[in-house]
Amino acid sequence: MGNLLTAIDLRAYYKTVQGEEIKAVDEVSLEVREGEVLGIAGESGCGKSTLASVLAFTVIPPLYVVSGEVRANGTNILTLDKETLRREIKGKYISIVPQGAMNSLNPTSRIKNFVIDVLKEHFPEMSKEEALQRARERFEALSLPPRILDAYPHQLSGGMKQRTVTVISTLLNPKVLIADEPTSALDVSSQKIVIKLLVELLRKQIIKSVVFITHELPLLRHFANRIAVMYAGKIVEVGPMESIIFEPLHPYSKLLISSVLVPESGMKSKRIEAIPGVPPNLKDPPTGCRFHPRCPSYIEGICNTSVPPFITVKSDHIVSCFLYGGEHG
Amino acid sequence: MKNPFARYILQKISWYILAFFVAVSLNFILPRLIPGNPVSVIVNQMATGGVQSDVLERLYSTYMKEFGLDKPLYIQYFNYLRNIFRWNLGTSFMLYPGKVKDLIGRALPWTISLQVPAILSGWIIGNLLGAFSAYKGGKFDSVAFTLSLVFSNIPYYCLAIVFLYLLAVRFGLFPVGGGYSFGMVPTLSLRFIMNALYHYILPYLSMVLVAIGGQAIGMREMSLYELTSDYVNYAKNLGIRDERIIRYVFRNAMLPQITGLAISFGTMMGGALVTESVFSYPGVGSLLFTAIRQNDYPLIQGCTLIITVAVLTANFLVEIAYGFIDPRIRAVQLGER
Repeated sequence: MGNLLTAIDLRAYYKTVQGEEIKAVDEVSLEVREGEVLGIAGESGCGKSTLASVLAFTVIPPLYVVSGEVRANGTNILTLDKETLRREIKGKYISIVPQGAMNSLNPTSRIKNFVIDVLKEHFPEMSKEEALQRARERFEALSLPPRILDAYPHQLSGGMKQRTVTVISTLLNPKVLIADEPTSALDVSSQKIVIKLLVELLRKQIIKSVVFITHELPLLRHFANRIAVMYAGKIVEVGPMESIIFEPLHPYSKLLISSVLVPESGMKSKRIEAIPGVPPNLKDPPTGCRFHPRCPSYIEGICNTSVPPFITVKSDHIVSCFLYGGEHG
Repeated sequence: MKNPFARYILQKISWYILAFFVAVSLNFILPRLIPGNPVSVIVNQMATGGVQSDVLERLYSTYMKEFGLDKPLYIQYFNYLRNIFRWNLGTSFMLYPGKVKDLIGRALPWTISLQVPAILSGWIIGNLLGAFSAYKGGKFDSVAFTLSLVFSNIPYYCLAIVFLYLLAVRFGLFPVGGGYSFGMVPTLSLRFIMNALYHYILPYLSMVLVAIGGQAIGMREMSLYELTSDYVNYAKNLGIRDERIIRYVFRNAMLPQITGLAISFGTMMGGALVTESVFSYPGVGSLLFTAIRQNDYPLIQGCTLIITVAVLTANFLVEIAYGFIDPRIRAVQLGER
């Protein structure tokens, strides 16, 4: 199976009013494969959401893409003009479930009006009734009550709103769905329903892959195929879910996983560890490996001078750390 | 009551009745706090001819009785309330024996035809300008925003005086004042209407420029806020074209502006006071201004009663109208939450 989306050496910086650059995404390369759920994990402020907006082309100033490519079907989508992006890509090839789904629907309009607008924008020849019928069928197929279409956003509960937004985002059968912390504002049972909905969308082949961005690793445990761990604007480790959760390689991933409770057998005897120190200021990130000031395995003269390359340690599992070899200057 | 909307309306109406009583009472008390006795003023004006003092004394007590000012304050108050409900606004002191009802009736059309076009056109142009400059940004926005800021912060009477001095007194392009040329009789003839329009331009301009500025600033802020909201970004991410998104934004940014429109309508009689005085326009504002200077209680009360009713009605209508345009407010009205 091929790659639906490939990011190559992406750099996206925020420019502050004072003219400083905040390197929120730096030299990130990543591929999204057909049929998979790719989890992107990391603590707050590590650049996950910035990466999501670059992948979904929702970059708004002060965020700028400095360099790099995002390839889909062999073309670099970052070079497409705004109108082509709007017509061909947004909602159709790549769609997003936004972080603030609570306020993502126009508060003064019935949901069906927005749904009709979305469908008619991409299928101008479709009549209002046809559009509505199509939306109704889709809602029913995903076991959401179609009466939601007649409601105003404020009449829905938080979990219902999140599911509605997810269904609207996938109305046009996008290949890649980027979900940016879609569950962080929800209670645990609503979280589970939203994740079930995403799995259902994949199973019904409505979407071909999901990029799921979260700071909650245990959530990924249940449905991700692969996980990428981000730290301070860089990806430090990418691998199959089981491999990342149970045999993490990077010292940061190890600490991140031991800092959360996973309800598995044998966890009772484990201690919860906090990661010492604070995430770095991305205006002026540490030299060499960005994790070196907090790293328990830090090697003076190596980790603080050169950037560790990616090394394939196990099948399909890569890590950027000198503990696993690699040249250094 | 079964129907929640009827219950909501009834509840609102009772609040407005309460507000009406408070306002009407203030209308009664406040003019009486102005120092000076209106009857002495009238009597003194007659005394200039060298009338004997016992005649003045008799004149004074006759007038006090005629106007009901010889009775204790609380009886005056109840008479006042009773008369309001009989739509009897009394007799003017200074224009005796002119009825307050007739005086206001003659002035009201002038005020309405001066204010309504100025408020409406200022509101429409201001909102379009504000929304457009928020969307457009860049140079257009800087110029439009600066100009709006300047005009909205000039007190409208200052602008009126500047216009009057420059355009009427200095260059003689427009008449110095009045609603129509001296010596003309108000009729519906073309000649009279053209003449009235000619007198109308300066007061209209002095009000409409301030209104445009104020509305444009409010609308620009609201539109900028709406343009960065989550639902706009989400619609963009689903490939919805800008023109349609602008429509969502315009509608939602309009909501607070409707209150502004209603308040302008409600306060237009009071707002007219200075403009009308500057241009000696024959409206309610000029009438109220002279009435206050002469301690003409019935005329002041009559004018302020009109203002009270206008403000309360405008606010009431807006509250009801909001329910139809904003579903979130309708939910509250219907007791859904």
